[in-house]
Amino acid sequence: MSAKPAVRTSIRATAIGFLAGGLSACVSASPPPPQDQMSRTQVETAPADLQLLCADAVAKASGADSTKILPVSSSKIDSKTYQVELDASGKKTSCLVDTDGNVKSVQPT
Amino acid sequence: MTLSLANRSITPKSNDRRIAGRRLVLGTALALTAIGATLVYAAQTQVFDPQTHKWVEYDKKKARKYYAAHNEVPEAFRPQMVKFRTAEVPGTIIIDGNQHFLYLVQPGQRAMRYGIGVGREGFGWAGIVRVGRMAEWPTWTPPAEMIARDPNAVKHAAGMPGGPDNPLGARALYLYERDQDTIYRIHGTPEPWTIGLDVSSGCIRMRNDDITDLASRVKVGAKVIVLMQGAALYKGV
Repeated sequence: MSAKPAVRTSIRATAIGFLAGGLSACVSASPPPPQDQMSRTQVETAPADLQLLCADAVAKASGADSTKILPVSSSKIDSKTYQVELDASGKKTSCLVDTDGNVKSVQPT
Repeated sequence: MTLSLANRSITPKSNDRRIAGRRLVLGTALALTAIGATLVYAAQTQVFDPQTHKWVEYDKKKARKYYAAHNEVPEAFRPQMVKFRTAEVPGTIIIDGNQHFLYLVQPGQRAMRYGIGVGREGFGWAGIVRVGRMAEWPTWTPPAEMIARDPNAVKHAAGMPGGPDNPLGARALYLYERDQDTIYRIHGTPEPWTIGLDVSSGCIRMRNDDITDLASRVKVGAKVIVLMQGAALYKGV
């Protein structure tokens, strides 16, 4: 192998390196979350208001006493939807609610 | 093919080994599931660092260091008015034990949000209770269970007078299930750096300024909804 192709390879690698570096410099750091979302836990539960919207929906759908309906667990299904599990005096119910506060479904489990 | 045939020729000895192997796998799986379940509920707090633009773990040690440097808790745990879509009436208290926030419902689908410290693992609870009574600079009397497990509590068995070192801090809201004291309180603390963490024996702790503000806005009888995924105990439901 002569020195010429090796030099060409080296120039090509350097050029690619500069290009990649330039591109990454163009990518800005992710913006900070809104002021009221500056903390979180590793397990993402549904926001409290959405959990309670589900409790309200279950009370309306079942006619159960709303003071006995408690959200007991929740999880994020996708970027816009949470699933909330509720206990209504021992009766288990599952609720889907979106981030805008619209209750999508309420079903016994 | 040879391997498959070899696997089919099972002697009593290899059968025993196989059963033992299965038991080991099953045991390990159960142990991992149990550990996994514990980890799910022992979810650690993270705060966003505006300087590095990164989420960082926030434990007791880091919380104490942060407080020593800033004489403040991180911004997320300071009082702020937030959007809160709810059918609950203004004056209702909603506690999100997992995210370490207490909301006081305000008119117009908004809530005043405060940072809180909650029960450590095994001491978290959930339920629907009410504010039975309130007290300023309350006396702290450790319950019998606490005296039994904590030798430091013994010297205060007859009651520790209110003051800056009292674990209940500036105010206490006593939580009742119907007419019964639950023994749980929302109270102040002489350890403000513990806000945002799972540290207590089940009480909800707030900074003294925050509990004083909350007590001034709340009426005896107010509904209190405590949400806590993985709660060890349920009250009032």
